[in-house]
This record gives sequence, structure tokens and C-alpha cells, in this order.
Amino acid sequence: MKISNTLTKSAFLLVILFSVTLSLVTQTVNAGNKHLKFNYADCPDHKTKLAGLTLNNDKNAAGDRIKNTWIKNFQTIVKNGSNKLKIIDLNKENTSTTFQYLSVVQVKSLKALIKTESENPAFATFIPVIILQKVMSEAEESLGSKINWLLIIVVILLIMVIFLVISILSRISDIQGKPAINWNSLNSKFSLAFILLGMLAVVWEFGAHSKLTVFNEGPASEHGINYDNMFMITLGLTGIVFIITQGLLFWYGYKYKSDGKRKALYYPDNHKVEFWWTIIPAVVLTVLVIKGLLTWTQMTNHSNKEARRIEIFGYQFNWATRYSGADNKLGSHDFRQVGKINNLGIDTNDSKAYDDVIVVNELHLEVNKPVLLAFRAKDVIHSAYMPHFRVQMNVVPGLPTYFSFTPTVTTAQMRTKMDKPNFDYILLCNKICGAAHYNMKMKVVVDTKAEYEKYMSAQTPLVANKVSKPKAVVLK
Amino acid sequence: MSDHILHAEHVDHAEHDHDDHEHPKESFISKYIFSMDHKMISRQFLITGIIMGTIGMAMSLIFRLQLAFPNMRFSFLEGILGHWAKDGKLDPNFYLALITIHGTIMVFFVLTAGLSGTFSNLLIPLQIGARDMASPFLNMLSYWFFFMSSCVLLFSLFVKDGPASAGWTVYPPLSALPSAIPGSGMGMTLWLVSMILFIGSALLGGINYIATVLNMRTKGMKMTRLPLTIWAFLMTAVLGLLSFPVLLGGSLLLVFDRSFGTSFYLSEIVAEFAGGIERTGGSPILFQHLFWFLGHPEVYIILLPALGITSEVIATNSRKPIFGYRAMIASILAIAILSFIVWGHHMFITGMNPFLGSVFMLGTLIIAVPSAVKTFNYLATMWQGNLKLTPAMMFAIGLVSFFISGGLTGIYLGNAALDINLHDTYFVVAHFHLVMGSAAIFGMMSGIYHWYPKLFGRMMNETAGQIHFWLTFIAAYCVFFPMHFMGLAGVPRRYYANTAYDQFNVFVDMNQFITIAALIGGAAQIIFLVNFFYSMHKGKRSVQNPWKSNTLEWTAPVEHYHGNWLGEIPHVYRWPYDYSKPGAEHDFIPQNIPDEGQTDPMQEPHVAEVERRVKVDPVVA
Ligand code: HEM
Ligand SMILES: [Cu+2]
Ligand SMILES: [Cu+2]
Repeated sequence: MKISNTLTKSAFLLVILFSVTLSLVTQTVNAGNKHLKFNYADCPDHKTKLAGLTLNNDKNAAGDRIKNTWIKNFQTIVKNGSNKLKIIDLNKENTSTTFQYLSVVQVKSLKALIKTESENPAFATFIPVIILQKVMSEAEESLGSKINWLLIIVVILLIMVIFLVISILSRISDIQGKPAINWNSLNSKFSLAFILLGMLAVVWEFGAHSKLTVFNEGPASEHGINYDNMFMITLGLTGIVFIITQGLLFWYGYKYKSDGKRKALYYPDNHKVEFWWTIIPAVVLTVLVIKGLLTWTQMTNHSNKEARRIEIFGYQFNWATRYSGADNKLGSHDFRQVGKINNLGIDTNDSKAYDDVIVVNELHLEVNKPVLLAFRAKDVIHSAYMPHFRVQMNVVPGLPTYFSFTPTVTTAQMRTKMDKPNFDYILLCNKICGAAHYNMKMKVVVDTKAEYEKYMSAQTPLVANKVSKPKAVVLK
Repeated sequence: MSDHILHAEHVDHAEHDHDDHEHPKESFISKYIFSMDHKMISRQFLITGIIMGTIGMAMSLIFRLQLAFPNMRFSFLEGILGHWAKDGKLDPNFYLALITIHGTIMVFFVLTAGLSGTFSNLLIPLQIGARDMASPFLNMLSYWFFFMSSCVLLFSLFVKDGPASAGWTVYPPLSALPSAIPGSGMGMTLWLVSMILFIGSALLGGINYIATVLNMRTKGMKMTRLPLTIWAFLMTAVLGLLSFPVLLGGSLLLVFDRSFGTSFYLSEIVAEFAGGIERTGGSPILFQHLFWFLGHPEVYIILLPALGITSEVIATNSRKPIFGYRAMIASILAIAILSFIVWGHHMFITGMNPFLGSVFMLGTLIIAVPSAVKTFNYLATMWQGNLKLTPAMMFAIGLVSFFISGGLTGIYLGNAALDINLHDTYFVVAHFHLVMGSAAIFGMMSGIYHWYPKLFGRMMNETAGQIHFWLTFIAAYCVFFPMHFMGLAGVPRRYYANTAYDQFNVFVDMNQFITIAALIGGAAQIIFLVNFFYSMHKGKRSVQNPWKSNTLEWTAPVEHYHGNWLGEIPHVYRWPYDYSKPGAEHDFIPQNIPDEGQTDPMQEPHVAEVERRVKVDPVVA
């Protein structure tokens, strides 16, 4: 018993040690590739291309120059063995700013990528491209300063015109002894026009833009149905209040404008009216509170033992997922190990971790299978937000958080439903976390049971990796 | 204020016992710079606030350009921002810095100091009938703390790694660790220094406002005869006094974490990332509790003065008493008290205990009741009124409109369940810009147009004011209303660009529309600025009571005297809302006019008139 335990442990350690060396060559290179791709996601030319492709053949797309500069700079750095700061300096010139804000680990993986790619014979080919691009960027400058001047002149002219108009208007009203424009009657007409046109605009906007929201295709999770109900009830009630109060406000602005003849009504108080308009909102709100509490309690109930446990690990600026494997238990973690050997800081002493599977930047869920997401962060607060599932939870360093839910619509079904063959669910970072906060996202795939099992069997658990076939690991 | 033309009415007042208020000619410094006169301090607050507001607005226009045209290069930006906009492309770190400083400036410097500071200072002594604040010296100190704080914040824009960039809520660990974001280095230190000075200013001001209102009211000015403005300023000061010290404590702990290696807010962070010291044992969420314990009352610190101003302006310009005076006071009190137990609604998804979330949700939705009452009372005040649609009145109406729109979306966000999918999205941006940003700015504008004659002795140009109103009003709705839909599609706030998301590409047009509307709104503020500074010297001279208002400030001479009234301070005989009182000669009876036994409104002959008119116009009744 003891011996087998020690054996597994040392095997585990061996594997990890091995992967340290290996990581520079395989794992890290892959991660580097991913970062490169990831950071280029906002550049239309680079959606699909990886660095390797660029290096091999594709060298004329405009955006490639950035990548090439990057790789070249990295190459220098790899040669000189200098640090992250240098990289940032070297690349200050570059438009792809997100690259400046890589974490140490990311820099490492990129370095590894560059290193392998440098050994690629095709590497030499892209240096001329850089020079070519340098020349191109100079042509834009002169235009810029012209726009600058134009802008300043326009602003000055604008101010002068306003000055002039104001002083002319006040002259006129001085001479005539009465205001130049009768704003009282004008404003009352504007009030009426505003509320009519405004309400039309609101109606138009609801028609035009509701279909862009996540409510259009409906929730992709079980509790999402309650969520959407709650939302629609609130929308209905507040909508009524909105129309009535805004309507009255501007209607009064129109109707009761002073006409010089009428006197206002001295009407300081009416306890009956006041009583009712305190009670009615209170009752309506009570309804909303009760319904809201029920929905909230249901949504925050994480006690389902059946739920499949998956850990979501957030770090600047990416997500990793850790599946708990056959035992449905996540091995414990130790933050002191984060970033040294294993990115997620998995505790090497915990056998529950052996069958865990780590995947960077992609989350697979099984449809209709409850899942309990456990969140953990490495550096700052992030927030895991999955709008289609009506799921969000902060991801806080040092404070475990959870969210459990059941996805109900597979990615494929959603694609058909929305008639968008490229649609993917996403998990976004929704708590400001640094320069590339806006790019910290992860693809979420909802599979059928069969697809999910297929996907998982293709992944390698932490320990089984080198010891034996994934399915054959026997724990305990 | 060079020329002193005395209004005929005051010459005879001047003959009354005129104690120690004859001043020798003041030097420039003691009059304009280290002034202890509340009216001058009020102007100092206002002008500093306007300058800060202009800067904050300019920042918002820059990042709006980025959001609308994420792939375009604006070479002129490089001229303004230098290396932060290399080749005309805004740096993502600097984008975050801009929104952080924009938020900080707008919330604290414009709408707390600029709004409260200006109008509490101007109106408290004048409307309660006092010669100055309880402590003019502390008052001066309050302004200079504010001034220093502004300078430090603006200075932080120029430090090498950029200003604070962790959002105006500065959540640690992001704000605590320079390795997490460059702005958390020197920039964040300066932000904290600036904030600490600011809190000093707010506390000095607040103590003074409270002491003055409670102790220095003129004869006859009972608490139930105070204008609603004063009630609002009083409760604002109380809120500030109780909540700002908590932020001060919270900020100091953050200073410790940043500079002395402690871990109040830090947990499980490796040494490598945290300046060489392993941090563990603290709680990042603790900071959020401390921050929002101030943060939520803060939104009422912003809003209550604006609502107070609106009450006054709507009553005066409707020529009607404010409807439900006592209910208005009660709702101010209710809002003030409740605002201390709802801060958790900003933290529903931090993983807090769901039961705690339920409690905060309950409190939050209860607060909607007094808010609704206030809205209905404004509507009832306008009903059957005799509306004078001056720029001040229009801005007040605008405030009510924004207060409704933004208040209603608060019911979504206050609902913990709904907040799960709305938290930190553009829905929130839309919500708080309407209910806090736009509403409070409109309250401030309303106040400026209404009390400009009191501040500067001259009138602002009306036409320019009206154009300013309509452009700003429509632009604000065009900017913030569509943002709700982006939020409902899941677009997060504080995103430098949305181009990486196929789902969000549909909003390209909307983003451009919003930015164009924002630019138009920004241009409209130039009209205001020109009008404001032009009228200071060239505006038409004001008469003593240009709006025919009841409150005491209009019994003081147009010219400014240290001590406010030349003669004896007027006594007060009635509440401030005797507009269009049946049987009275004019449609207003100032508070200092002796009462002939007509104060109990409901016992009076007008009741029959009310009933008759209600039959004719059944809109509300
Ligand atoms: C000139 C009109 C204004 C425009 C166009 C504008 C626009 C914006 C935008 C686009 C954001 C950033 C949203 C994001 O990326 O998260 C923002 C943030 C913010 N604004 Fe404004 N805003 C304006 C006026 C105001 C006013 C009057 C206030 C006063 C309360 C205000 C307070 C804030 C705050 C507190 C933030 C949040 C900053 C943060 O995320 O840390 N804004 N504004
Ligand atoms: Cu993040
Ligand atoms: Cu709040």
C-alpha cells in the first residue's frame, strides 16, 4: 500500500519534472502558439493563422509585419537571454499593444516558440517585410498633423460663432426690451414633440435592437428560464411606469406652460393621494422582491452532489479549465507552486489530482448534465461571465467561488437556432484586470454526451500522461 | 464685482444697526484667493468643478472615439497624449487610465465637490439667513484641500507609467500590485494621496454645513420652514460625514498593502508577483465592502443636492408650492438612512453568502419607494402649474426624466438574480450615467442657471441656455439609452475594444452613433462654457429677485457683501413655498413677509378651488 503510494507519487513528480524540460519544447510551444493566436484574435488578418504558417509562407498580409517584428525581437531576446522588460521596450513601436502585457509564463512560452521557429529554415524570409513596412508607416504622419490643425481651427471658429450669436441675441433683446425668442411657448411645444418622438424612438429601438441581445435566442441553461421570466416581469412593470411618468412629465411641460393669464393652483398636499402612491409602488416592489428572492435562491443553490466539478482558473490574461476526471474530485492546490512548475499550482501530494485534466482556453460542457464550476484566480480579480447561460461569478485570488448550472442547448443546436454556423458560446472576463482585459475570453462548447466523452478521452490526465493509458489509471 | 451699484432698496437697510460688517478694502489675495466668504468659496468650488468637468468630459470623448472606431488611427491624439497614442492608436493601458480618471473626476471632483461644494456654500447661509458659515476658516481650508487634491490628480496624468488605471473603484489586487498594471505604480499612489486630501475637504465642508444649518438659522426659520435644498444639503453632509471616514480607513489600508508589504486585501499571491513578498491571509473582498460603504451613500451624496435644487427650481417655476413638503423631507431622510444598508448590491456576484445578498436586495428595492414618492411629488407640483420654462426649469425637468429612466433600471440591478447577467455590463454604464451622471449634472446645471444671478450678479443668456439644454438633453439620451441593449447582449464595461467578439460586431453602428451623439453633446458644453464666462462680465445685470422666488437669498442685495445682508438679517414667518396663494396680491410671498394667519394650507379657502379644478382636470385625481 505504502510502496504503491510512494511509487505513484514519485511517478507524478517525475512526470512534472519531465514536463518542465518538455514544456520548453512541446507544451510551452503550443501555449506560445495559442497566446500568439489569442492576442491576434482582434486583428482580422490573423484569425486563423498561426506563427508557424507565417514563417513558412505567408509574408505579404499587412498585419504580418507586426508579428514578424515580434518574432524577430523575441529572437534577439532569446539570444541575449534578457528579460520581459526588454521585450516591452523593443516592441514599443508596435501597434499590437496587447503583446506588451504578457505574464511571465506567457513570455516564457512565446520565447520557446520563437526558439523552435528560429531553427526553422523558413525563418530568414521575413526580415525584408519588416523593412518594407517601416517605410509605409511614415507616409501617414503628415496627414495627421493637418487634421490636427483643422480641428483646432474648427473649434476656434465654433467658439467665435457662439460668442457672436450670444452677443447679437442679447443686443436684440436689450433693444426690444423683451426676450428675442419666446422660449416659454417654444419649450412647451418641444416638450410635446420630445415625448412623442422619444417614445417612437424607444419603440423603434426595442424593435431594432432587442434581437441583438441574449434574450433573443433564449437561455441556454435550466435556471436561465427563470431568469428570463424574472427579467420580463420587471421589464413589463418598469415599462408601464416609464411610459406613464415620462408621459405625464412632458405632457405637463406642454399643457401647463404659463400663458400670462392663468394662476397656478395652490395645492400643497393631499394625504390620500400620497398614501396611495406610496402603497402601490411598495406592493409592486414586494412582488418583485419575492419573485426575485425565489429566483436568486434557486440560482445560488450549489448543493447538487451529482454535478460534475470543473475548475475555471483565471490569470492575466487567459483562462484554463481543470476537469476533475473520473473521481469527480479536484485535487487541491497550493498557490506557492503557481507559475513555477505548473501554471495552476496543483498540489503534487494530492492523489485526487492525478486524473485531473487541464486544458487552456477552452471549456467543454455536457448538455443537460449539471456542472459545478469552481473558480480560482492567480493574480487579480477576474469575473467569469457566460451571458448565454445567465452565469457570472467573480474569480478572486485566495477566495474560492462557485456557480452551478445545467446547460440545456448544445453548441450545434444553438447554431441552427440562430442560423449562425460559426456561433460559439463564450466565457468573458468581466472584471477589470489589466491591459488585455478586453481580450480575456474562452470558447465554451456544449457537447452531447457522446461528443463530450469523445472529447474527454482525447485529453490526457495529469499523471496518466506518462505512466499508462488514461483510462487505466487506478487511484487509491 | 468691481462696480458696486446699490439697489435702491438696500440703502435704507444699510442705515440699520450694521455691526462689524464694514470691511476695509480687501486685498486681492484675501478677496479672491484665500477668501473666507462663503459666496467666494462657492464660486471657487464651481469654477474648479467646471474645469475638472471639462477635463473629465474631454477624456470621455477620447475613449468614445476609441470605442467607435477601434481600428482607426487618430493622429491628432498623438499630439495630445504623446506616447500613449502612438501612431494615433490609443494604448489599452491608457484607455483604462482614462476611464478611471474620468470616473474619479466626475464622481468626486465634479458632482461631489463641484455640486455640493458650490451650492451648499452659496445657499446654506443665504437661505437660512446667516452671515456666513459656522467656521469660515474651515470652509476656506475645505476648498484648498479640494484644490490640492485636484492638482495631485491632474499631476498624476503626467507620471511615467500613467495614472491610476484600476477603475474608479480601485479594487485590489489590481490596484495594489504594480506588476498587474503599470498604472498601479506611482499613478495609484498619487490617486490615493489625492483621495485622502479630497476626503479631508469633504469632511471639513460637511462638519461646517451641518453646524451652520443646525445652529445659525435666522429667527423664525424652523426646521420645517427650511427650503428643501437645505434639507438635501444637510442630509448630504451627514451622509458624507458618516461614510467618507470609512473610505479613508479603506484607502489607508490599501496604502499599507501597496507600500509596506502588508496583506489586508491580498491573499494567495506569490512573491514574484507582489513585489517580492508573498501575500496571504487578507481578503480582496474586504476592500469592496469598505469602498461601497462609502460608494453607495456617495451616489446619494451626488444625487440629493441635485434633487434639492430641483425641488426649489420646480416649485418656483411652476409658481406652486412643492407638493408634499413633509413627504419630501421624509423621503430624503428615508433615502439617507437606507443608503447605508444597501452597499452590498454592488457585490452580489463576489461569491457572498446568498442570504446576505437577499438582505441587500431587500434594502435596495425598498429604497425605490421614497424615490418613487419624490418623482410623483415633482409631477404633482407641475400639475396645474403656471410653468415658466426657463433654462433652469428645463434642466430640472430633464433631471426628473433621467431620474425616472435611470431609477427604473436600478430595479433590475438591485434584484440580485437579475444582476447575475447584468453586473459590470454596459447596462450598468447606462444605468448609472442616467441616474447619477446625467441626472446630477442636470441638477447642477439647473442650479447654475437659477442661481447665476446670485453668484455673479448678472443673468446668463437665455437663448444659449435653452439651446444648451436641448442639445445636451437629447445627446445624453442618445448616448446612454442604446447602451442598455449592449449590456443586455453581454457587452462588458471597461473593454478597450469589442472587435475580438463576433457577437458584439453587430454593435459597430451603435457605437459610432453613440460617439457622434457624445461629440455633439460635448460641443453643446462649449455653448455653456462661453455663456458662463461671457455673462460673468458682459451679461445683463440681474435684478434682486429675478425669478420672483420666496427664499431668503433673494432678499439679499445683488452685490456681494461680506455678511450677506446690509442691515439686520431678515426674519422668517412662513414656509418657502407660498406660491400662487389664494387671496395674495402676487403669486409669491417671500419667507420674510409677516404671516397673516394663513399658514395651514389645508384649512384655507383654496380647498374649494382645488376641488373645482380637480373636476375640470382629472388627469391625476
Ligand atoms: C460627457 C458625457 C459622458 C460620456 C460620453 C461618458 C461615457 C463613459 C463611458 C463610455 C465610460 C466607460 C465605460 C466602460 O468602458 O466601462 C464611462 C465611465 C464612467 N463614467 Fe462616464 N460619461 C460621461 C459623463 C459622465 C458623468 C457626468 C459621470 C458622473 C457620474 C460619469 C461617470 C462615470 C463613471 C463613474 C464611470 C466608470 C469608470 C470606471 O469604469 O471606473 N460619466 N463614461
Ligand atoms: Cu480578467
Ligand atoms: Cu449602490
